[in-house]
Amino acid sequence: MKKAFWIVPVVFVALAIALWRYYSPGGAPTVVVYVSHDQVFSEPILRDFEKETGIHVRAVYDTEETKSAGAMNRLIAEKRNPQADVYWANEPIRAEVLRQQGIAAPYISPNGLGIPETFRDPNGYWTGFAARARVLIVHRDTSPKPTSMLSYTDPRWRGKTVIANPLFGTTTTQIAALFVLSGDERGHAFMQGLRDNAVKVSPSNGDSADLVARGEFAFSLVDSDDVVNRMKQHQPVEMIYPDQGVNEIGCFVVPNAVVLIAGSPHPAAGKTLIDYLLSKESERKLAFSDAAQIPLHPDVAGPSYLQPIASIKVMKVNYMEIASKLQTILPFLKSWAEF
Amino acid sequence: MEKRLTLATAAALLAVIGLLPVLAMVASSFHISGSFSLKAYQALLASSQQYALLLGRSVLLSFLTSALATVVGVPLGVLIGKSDLPWRGTFAVFFTVPLLIPPYLIAVAWGAIVGKGGWISQAFPSAASDLLSAAFFGLPGCTGVLFTAFMPIVMLLTTTYVGVVNPRWEDAGRLVSRWPHVLRRITLPLIAPAILFAAVLVFLLAFGEVGVPTYLRYPVYPLEILTQFAAFYDFGAATAAAIPMLLVTLAILALEYRLLHNPILELRAVMPGATRRQIPLGHWRLAVFGTVLGWALLTVVLPLAVLLIQSASPSAYIEAFSRSSGSIVRSLAFAVIGATALTLLGFCCGYLIHRRALPLWRSVDALALFLFTLPGTVIGIGLVSLWNTSMTNAIYGSPAILILGYLAQYTVLPMRITSASLESIPRSLEHAAQLGGASWFTSLRYIVVPLAKRGLIAAWLISYVFCLRDIGISMTVYPPGSDTLPVRILTLMANGAPSLIAALCVILIVVTLLPLGVVSLWLRHSARQS
Repeated sequence: MKKAFWIVPVVFVALAIALWRYYSPGGAPTVVVYVSHDQVFSEPILRDFEKETGIHVRAVYDTEETKSAGAMNRLIAEKRNPQADVYWANEPIRAEVLRQQGIAAPYISPNGLGIPETFRDPNGYWTGFAARARVLIVHRDTSPKPTSMLSYTDPRWRGKTVIANPLFGTTTTQIAALFVLSGDERGHAFMQGLRDNAVKVSPSNGDSADLVARGEFAFSLVDSDDVVNRMKQHQPVEMIYPDQGVNEIGCFVVPNAVVLIAGSPHPAAGKTLIDYLLSKESERKLAFSDAAQIPLHPDVAGPSYLQPIASIKVMKVNYMEIASKLQTILPFLKSWAEF
Repeated sequence: MEKRLTLATAAALLAVIGLLPVLAMVASSFHISGSFSLKAYQALLASSQQYALLLGRSVLLSFLTSALATVVGVPLGVLIGKSDLPWRGTFAVFFTVPLLIPPYLIAVAWGAIVGKGGWISQAFPSAASDLLSAAFFGLPGCTGVLFTAFMPIVMLLTTTYVGVVNPRWEDAGRLVSRWPHVLRRITLPLIAPAILFAAVLVFLLAFGEVGVPTYLRYPVYPLEILTQFAAFYDFGAATAAAIPMLLVTLAILALEYRLLHNPILELRAVMPGATRRQIPLGHWRLAVFGTVLGWALLTVVLPLAVLLIQSASPSAYIEAFSRSSGSIVRSLAFAVIGATALTLLGFCCGYLIHRRALPLWRSVDALALFLFTLPGTVIGIGLVSLWNTSMTNAIYGSPAILILGYLAQYTVLPMRITSASLESIPRSLEHAAQLGGASWFTSLRYIVVPLAKRGLIAAWLISYVFCLRDIGISMTVYPPGSDTLPVRILTLMANGAPSLIAALCVILIVVTLLPLGVVSLWLRHSARQS
């Protein structure tokens, strides 16, 4: 016991000193990135960046599964003394919120110039890349197949469909986009239609995809990577790009967005990382990985199971307008979700 | 003097580490755009009807979980700690496993069993499996999962405390009555404060739980706080939304204090050489063994089997190690440091409240319990607000911030365990040492610490487990590039292969059990030597 009395504090102090020294800033160039894109897909890209540039990446990961409560809240809470250099958002609305809160800094990357203007902020506060399409995941046994987002309100599917909680993630963004495109009245009517048609609400897109794959529901609106992932696991699901008809609204596309943080500790390394993420090579990697992201550079080819961006009828919306609309409809969405 | 100074420093440390971040959060909830505002609280009042409904659900879920955990955990604890049930040690380890993994993962494992398309649905008619699935995704499922996750707390505390009941009391009872009556009238009343504390702990843990109710689609109040954080990015509203939770917590604490107004915890020294009294199960032994074994298979082995089967390939473990070796090492290091720091602070605070060494002992007890009940995100954001300055970057940018978070949230655990352990050490021993000229530190070193050794080890182990499985604080403040294993499991869950996630869960369980096994072997070795 006498020995243990001294061993415990000695081990404790030694471990603490070792960790302290490990975390003390050294000479190697470093970039700190907060990531809301799924870690399973984003981490390999960041490791490649480390190998190719020699810049050490220190990342904070977050996912939609945790409602992105980590990275975004940290960025906002750290506003006075930023720790991050770059934010890799999984959709542009979060990037836009950062711009509105004065947390984003402008940076126009030369590698982003090939990306269509629809997918980037004109002042360079964020730039979109590697997009997901908001598609329908449909169980293979479902017949006939739904073809539109509005199928949710078709009485034929009453009680047979599921949607992720519209308070979080890309589902929120898509509902806000619908409000922008169709106006508040039709937006509210659509949401009421969901309620009237007994649409189930799941915690996340991933859960929705699983519920459809297990045959509990006929279809759900999810991200394209959720479907590709289940298809690669040989689950009985199909992917349908919704609203592709002549008079239909088109498929909503959600690019990743990269943001330089204002007052960041390593701005030069941050810009290097942004250039890397916006490169054609990174888009190609993200397209061919399990992330199945649609390249936005027109000349980057994707895998066969992804439609090229040029062949998809894309919903024509402005992401800044969506971000503004989102702020106004959030209380409504909250009360809808609580109903 | 040295005693008062040390204990006052410990109390001040707890206040600075735990209370200041919370006060910073509360203060910020009264400031919008740089000026004083009650908007966050007005919004809270405006939605009071909806909030009351959610709060009611949370209270119901927590009450059911706590009641079930107590009803099952106490008899199990008595059987494991005091009877001649076969495989007692193995059962203790088995039933403890669910406590070691985040409850969300238990829910996911159960989902694979009773959800549609799960194992059960393949074995039963669709109507029956539909019914089961519907029950799982709701209050019954939530209660079941949280009960499985938190029942070990009641069981372990009961096991520990029945072991330190003064055998003379039970011997006296046995002269006139049989064991069931002795248990009912003597043993259980003696350890009632510990059982009550365990029940309160389970209630509060279930009360703050978000992951399981979200996954099982049972809306509860903490989701409101998460919504304010994650959908609105409104820290003020999130803090205001936490106030009703704090009021319920304070009410529970007040109730606990009232019930323990005249504590009846009459545990006394189990001096070396003293033997524990064991309850012979007689001809019931086999039946009880079968029941406990069945219960273990159903509630622990079945969900664990899901993880093991899903991860049953070398490639899953190779990928898990290649992706997470750093996180595993960090988790271990952070948990060891956190648990050691917690044990030191918890010991001081536990000594303070047990010996009532300072007039503010009750405040320290209430503060520690209060901090334990706060959502990890609230404490995490409070820590960011307080420590993220250019002056304190050395702390904020290092794992020290995580350790501060652990100290803020979990001090109550080693504190209460220490306090209970001190119950079995006669104060006269300390007084005698002081009369002999020993300083307070000397009497601690040569008398109190050796006699409270088992309790301190238990305090360290429980602190280690809670540091290792923490998600709320870790997710919010872990230094960039230094995630912990539970955080990595959670972030990899989005589109990560189920086999990878299952392998990581198995690794987490093994990593957690490792020191428990080492300590168990060490205790056996020292018992043999003595």
